[in-house]
Amino acid sequence: MALSVGLFAQLLVNTLQIGAVYVLFALGLTLVFGVMKVINFAHGQFFTLAALVIAATMPEFTARFGMPAWLDYFVCFGLAFIIVGILGAVLYFVGFERYLRDLVGSFILSVGLLLFLEGIYLWLFGGAPRVVPKLLEGQVSLAGGAMESQRLVICAIALAATAALYQLVAKTRMGKALRAVAEDREAAMLQGIRYRRISFYGFMIGSGLAAISGGLIAPLTAITPALGNDYLAKAFIIIIIGGLGSIPGAILGGFLIAAVESFAGYFLDLSYATIAMFVLVMVFLLVRPQGILGVAER
Amino acid sequence: MIRRRALLAGTTAVLATPYIARAADGVIKFGVFVPLSGAAASWGLGAKWVGEQAAAEINSKGGIKAGGKTYNAEVIAYENGYNSAEGGKAAQAMLNRDGVRFIIQGIGTAPVKALQSLSERTGALMMQVAWGKSVKGPQAPLTFTNSNTPFELFGPLFDLVKRKHPNAKTVALLNPNDATGQEVEAEAVKQYKARGYEILASTWYERGTTEFQPIVTKLAQTKADIMDLSGAPPADSGTVYRELSVQSWKGVKVQSSGTGADAMVKVGGAAVEDVYMGNAADFGGATATPTQRKLNEGALKALNEPVNILHMGAWDALMAIKAGMEATNSVDPKKVAAKLPEIIFESSYGPTAFGGKETYGIAQQMLVPIIVTQIKNGQTVEIERIMPEELKARLAKR
Repeated sequence: MALSVGLFAQLLVNTLQIGAVYVLFALGLTLVFGVMKVINFAHGQFFTLAALVIAATMPEFTARFGMPAWLDYFVCFGLAFIIVGILGAVLYFVGFERYLRDLVGSFILSVGLLLFLEGIYLWLFGGAPRVVPKLLEGQVSLAGGAMESQRLVICAIALAATAALYQLVAKTRMGKALRAVAEDREAAMLQGIRYRRISFYGFMIGSGLAAISGGLIAPLTAITPALGNDYLAKAFIIIIIGGLGSIPGAILGGFLIAAVESFAGYFLDLSYATIAMFVLVMVFLLVRPQGILGVAER
Repeated sequence: MIRRRALLAGTTAVLATPYIARAADGVIKFGVFVPLSGAAASWGLGAKWVGEQAAAEINSKGGIKAGGKTYNAEVIAYENGYNSAEGGKAAQAMLNRDGVRFIIQGIGTAPVKALQSLSERTGALMMQVAWGKSVKGPQAPLTFTNSNTPFELFGPLFDLVKRKHPNAKTVALLNPNDATGQEVEAEAVKQYKARGYEILASTWYERGTTEFQPIVTKLAQTKADIMDLSGAPPADSGTVYRELSVQSWKGVKVQSSGTGADAMVKVGGAAVEDVYMGNAADFGGATATPTQRKLNEGALKALNEPVNILHMGAWDALMAIKAGMEATNSVDPKKVAAKLPEIIFESSYGPTAFGGKETYGIAQQMLVPIIVTQIKNGQTVEIERIMPEELKARLAKR
């Protein structure tokens, strides 16, 4: 299997399209961990809910209002974002607020929520795959690699959302507070930062990122209540390799894992690519447990 | 006024239901052991619905008469998750908790094997459509298959593809990396090679995969004349054919175990046009029987998708078991299983029997037509219908 320029370009394009959504999904997970010191196994359920809401409501909107598919999609996307936001707020106040900085308690809570919400989705939406109609026809060529036009738009939105989050964390007052809490909660509180409020903001931003990534993936795949599970497993790999709680680490890790999936998936097969990812995680946990860009806690 | 009457009629019907049920001497539970979620959910949800229609049909015609008693049929569905772990749990619930002794549909080789380890021991009769050859045989006298498997389908399907596309010489295959995929792949490779095809790639993916681009790049780069997604569920096949189209692959599309166009077309759109399927049927078309057409119309209303061959298996299995019970005058699963290979019963296709002793060493394979179809304008169109020679011979002797 020789690696021609065209093939290399295609594998890079595959990396970009897979990685863009991985990064967005993993950013939410790492942000929640950084601020709250909570590992949220239910994160994938926000992602799944957004995709399911879009898939369930779009046919209704199309039938009732007859708007173009892309406009229907964005209206339903907005609706999904609001619903996920409400769910996120409820879960935070009912559950996660009581387990801030409690790894064991939050682990049990979030695993329970994962199973509970998956059951609820199955009951509400049924198990049969749902499909969101294609938003844009046609395909584009990037340096010899082919991609659907709608994939390109979705990648662009995902990258823009990532850049916006980066700006928010790096430049804004709230972003600085988020970083301060993530680095040293006590010192941040001594500076007058309200820890619980910032935790809530962090959790809501994380849920919002999951909703955005779920909404973006909706037109690209068959949607079932188990959709988030595959992404959740990958996101954990990404944030361990990138560094738990590190935003640049999640971006780097996301594209690294996408590259492993793309190249190993081609030269070996997808099953071996998955094994390769887990081997990589084990190596990191043994050699550099704080990940590429994470900071070791003393 | 009309609404008040309708309400009164509805209430009366609801209140009368227990009394109608009491007209029977008992209820026999029939299990449907299928995936009800995930990419293969459309198979399970349809099988459950068709099984319920078969039970309603039997009950409306006076139930099952055996041993001087009359029984009503009740269908209960169990989620097997399309994997052995979930299947094992569902099997325990079905056989030990609920006491089900007749299973009319089992889908998925891995969960069906998990169930079989328990069903054979507890003396439960199982009708299923797992594609593994090892599922049937003298070692499993209570296990039957209610529709065709790769061992019946692939030969006639590949012969037809060869006739229609004589210039195609090479094949690439993609299968899910589980018991179903492995059994299907082995038979597909054997049958393609027997017809002189060169296998350029045979690759795997894990169920639950959502990003298929890396595997599609690998398949597209083979430039194979035929792309066979053998054992992949319809939604996954739609995604793969769509990505293959993006990566400019053009050739003969085959889903040798393909069961229907609906989910594949929803996901794959125009990219799945012309896909050949070995396990699909147009049950709304001219060649369908009145029973099949009625079920198809009902499923379109209830499930928003047509009935496929796996769904239909639940109807045929329940009718076969009913015929077996009435022939033996017993509801003992072992006696019914021993009788089934001898009888001819009325399936949705018409008079049918069990055979396949030459392939499996025991007559546990329901003999139903092999239907080769192709997706045309987003619909399943029948290309060829082949009646099994063994069934022809059995019916001629009648």
